[in-house]
Amino acid sequence: MARPRLLPAVVRSLLGRPSTVQYPYVKTEVEAAYRGRHYADLKKCTGCSLCAIECPADAIAMTQIPAHLEAPKSNPRRVYPKIDYGRCVFCYRCVTVCPFDAYVTTNFYGMAGPRENTSEQLSLGTLERVV
Amino acid sequence: MVDKVVELPVTIEIPVGPQHPALHEPVLLKAYVDGETVVKVEVNTGYNHRGIEKLCEQNTFYKDIFIIGRVCGICNTVHTDVYVRALEQILGLEPNRRAKYLRVVAMELERIHSHMLINAVMAEVVGFDTLFMSIMLDREKVMKAKEILTGARVMADYMMVGGVRRDLSDADAGRIAKLVEQVRERLTYYKRVFEEDTTITKRLMGVGVLKRVDAVRHTLLGPVARGSGVRIDARVSDRYDAYDELQPEVVVRGEGDSWARMMVRWDEALVSAEIVLSALSKLPRDGSPVPDERKLPRKFPPGEAYTRVEAPRGELTYYVMSDGKANPYRVKIRTPSFTNIVNSAFLYEGYTIADLPVILASLDPCISCMERAVITDLRTGERRTVPFTQLSRGDKAWRGRGFYLL
Amino acid sequence: MTATLAQAGGFVKPNRRVFTLEPSRVRSVFLDLVRERGQEGFYVSTIVGVDLKEEGLIRVDYFVVLLPEEETVVLRTAVPRDNPVLDSIVDIVPGALSGELETHDLLGVLFQGNPYLRRGFFVPSDVAEKGVYPLRRG
Repeated sequence: MARPRLLPAVVRSLLGRPSTVQYPYVKTEVEAAYRGRHYADLKKCTGCSLCAIECPADAIAMTQIPAHLEAPKSNPRRVYPKIDYGRCVFCYRCVTVCPFDAYVTTNFYGMAGPRENTSEQLSLGTLERVV
Repeated sequence: MVDKVVELPVTIEIPVGPQHPALHEPVLLKAYVDGETVVKVEVNTGYNHRGIEKLCEQNTFYKDIFIIGRVCGICNTVHTDVYVRALEQILGLEPNRRAKYLRVVAMELERIHSHMLINAVMAEVVGFDTLFMSIMLDREKVMKAKEILTGARVMADYMMVGGVRRDLSDADAGRIAKLVEQVRERLTYYKRVFEEDTTITKRLMGVGVLKRVDAVRHTLLGPVARGSGVRIDARVSDRYDAYDELQPEVVVRGEGDSWARMMVRWDEALVSAEIVLSALSKLPRDGSPVPDERKLPRKFPPGEAYTRVEAPRGELTYYVMSDGKANPYRVKIRTPSFTNIVNSAFLYEGYTIADLPVILASLDPCISCMERAVITDLRTGERRTVPFTQLSRGDKAWRGRGFYLL
Repeated sequence: MTATLAQAGGFVKPNRRVFTLEPSRVRSVFLDLVRERGQEGFYVSTIVGVDLKEEGLIRVDYFVVLLPEEETVVLRTAVPRDNPVLDSIVDIVPGALSGELETHDLLGVLFQGNPYLRRGFFVPSDVAEKGVYPLRRG
C-alpha cells in the first residue's frame, strides 16, 4: 500500500507563512455583500415599526428622535428603530421587510466590545440639527 | 490459610464527557468498563435543551424561519430549507427553478463543510492533529464559498418562502466554482489519506461494526446507515428542490465500521462538489429567485405538512401544523442526530475505552441538533450476578433482550 | 377549526398517506408490518404528538418510512387527553424509543410496556417535578 505523501505538505507548511490570520491586528477580508452592521437612514424612515415587529431576535426598539434633530415630515411620531447589536443576529429581516428601503447595509463586523453597542449614533448621524 | 474467596465484579464507571467526548459539544457517555473493555454505555444528554419547538409555537411563521436556522450551526440551511418547504406546501407556493438550484448549491456546500469538519474531528480524536489542521484550513475555502453565496460564513439565513434571499451574480458563481474545484482536489487527497494512512486505518477499521438490520431497526440514518449498506437518501426518494434534475449518486458501503462511515462521508463530499459544479454551470434564468418579502402572504391556511431533507447527518424531518392563526400550532423537529445518538448505545459494547470517542465521532453527533435527553438506568440487581465480560461477549440470555443491554 | 384538521385524513402534504387506527390496534399493526415486510423493510422515522385541546384528544402520529422505496406513511391515532395511554412498540421496533420517550416527556402520553419511560429526561427537573408537560396547550 502506497502511503500518500505527507512530506511535501510538511515541508510546505514549514517554509510557508502561517495560515492563521492575526485578528484583530489584521482584518479578515469579507465580501462586500457580507451581512454586517446595518442601520436605518432616518431621512427615509417613517417610524412605522414594521422592522421592530418582524425582528426574530427582538433587537429593535422604537426610540424617540431627540428634539434637537430635524425629523422628516413623513415621520410624524418622531420614532426610529434603535438596533441593539448585542442582540442582533444579522439575518437582515428588517432590511428586507422595510417598505421604504430605509436600511443602510455595510460589511462591518468588528462589533465586539465592552460597551453597549447600538445603532443610535449611526442612525441619528443621518439627520441634521434643527437650526 | 485462605478459606474464602470473595469475588468482586471489577467494573469502573468512566464518564466520557460531558465537556469534550469527541466533538466540542456537551454529551455524557457513561461507560462501564471491565478492564479495558466497555461493557455498557449510557448516553446521557440534555445539556443543551432550549425548547425550540415550544418557542416556534409562540412566534409567527416567518420569525420561525430564523429561529429554526439557530437549531444547529453546521446544518442551518437544511433546517431552514425543510421548514420553508413545509410552509410552501401549506401555502401552495412554488419557487422558481433558479431559486431551487441556488438552494441546492447552498445545501451541498453545507454538506461538504460538514463532512470535512467531522472527518477533521475524527483525525483529531485518533491523535492526528496535523491532519485536523490541514482539513480545517481547506474547509475555510468552502466557508468562503458559502459567504459569497449567502452573505455569512455560517449563519446563512438564506431560505425564504418562495425562493432564496439573495441572488447570485455570474461572476460570483464563477468564484464559487473555482473554490469548489480547489476543494474537490483536496477532498480526493484526503480520501486517499483516510484510505491508506496506517494511523487512520488502524484506529478506525473494525471499530464499532454496525449490522444492516440493526441500522434499520434502530432508525440509524444518513452516512451511518449508508456505511452499513442501507440505501436511503431523501434527496433521491423525495426529489425536493432541484434534485429531480441534479440526481446525486448514493454512496453505500458494506463494511459497517467507523472507517466505512468516514469513507462514505468523503465520497459524499466529492459527489456534493460535483452537484455544486453542475448546478452552477446550468443555473436556470427564469426570473429572480428572490421573493419580495413585503408581499408574501401574511395568512396561512389551516393544514399540515411533513417534509424531509437529507441533511449531512441523515434524514431530517419537520412536521408543521397550521390552524389558520398567526403562529404555527405545532412544529415537530426530528433531527438525524436524535436517533443516531440516543438509539446507538449498543454500538460501543465490546470495544475498548480508546475506541469510544472514535465510535461517537463516527456517528457525527450534533448535540445542539438533538437537544434532547435520555438516561438509561442500570439494573443494579442483575449487575452483581453476571460477569461483565460475559455480557459484552454476547451472552445469549442478555443479547436476546434486544437492543439495550440494561 | 382543529376538529376538521384531525379528521382531514387522506394525505399529509406532500403525498404522505394517512392511515387512521384505533389506539388499541397500534401494536398489532406494527407486528403485521414486521411480519409482512421484515425487520429491514421499514423504520419508524418519528413519533409526533399533537395536543388538540378543543377536542380533548392528543393525536399521536407514527411516521413510518417503508424501505427500499422510502415512502413515508402516517399511522395516525388519538388518545383522550385526560387519560393518554398507548401500547409501546419499543420491543417490536427499537427505533421508536427516542420518539416514545420524547412524546411521553413533552405531552404526557404513557406508553405502556416501555421500561425506559421517565419524566425529566428532556425537560428540566424543576419543571418535571411540577408535573407540567411543556407542549400541552394551556
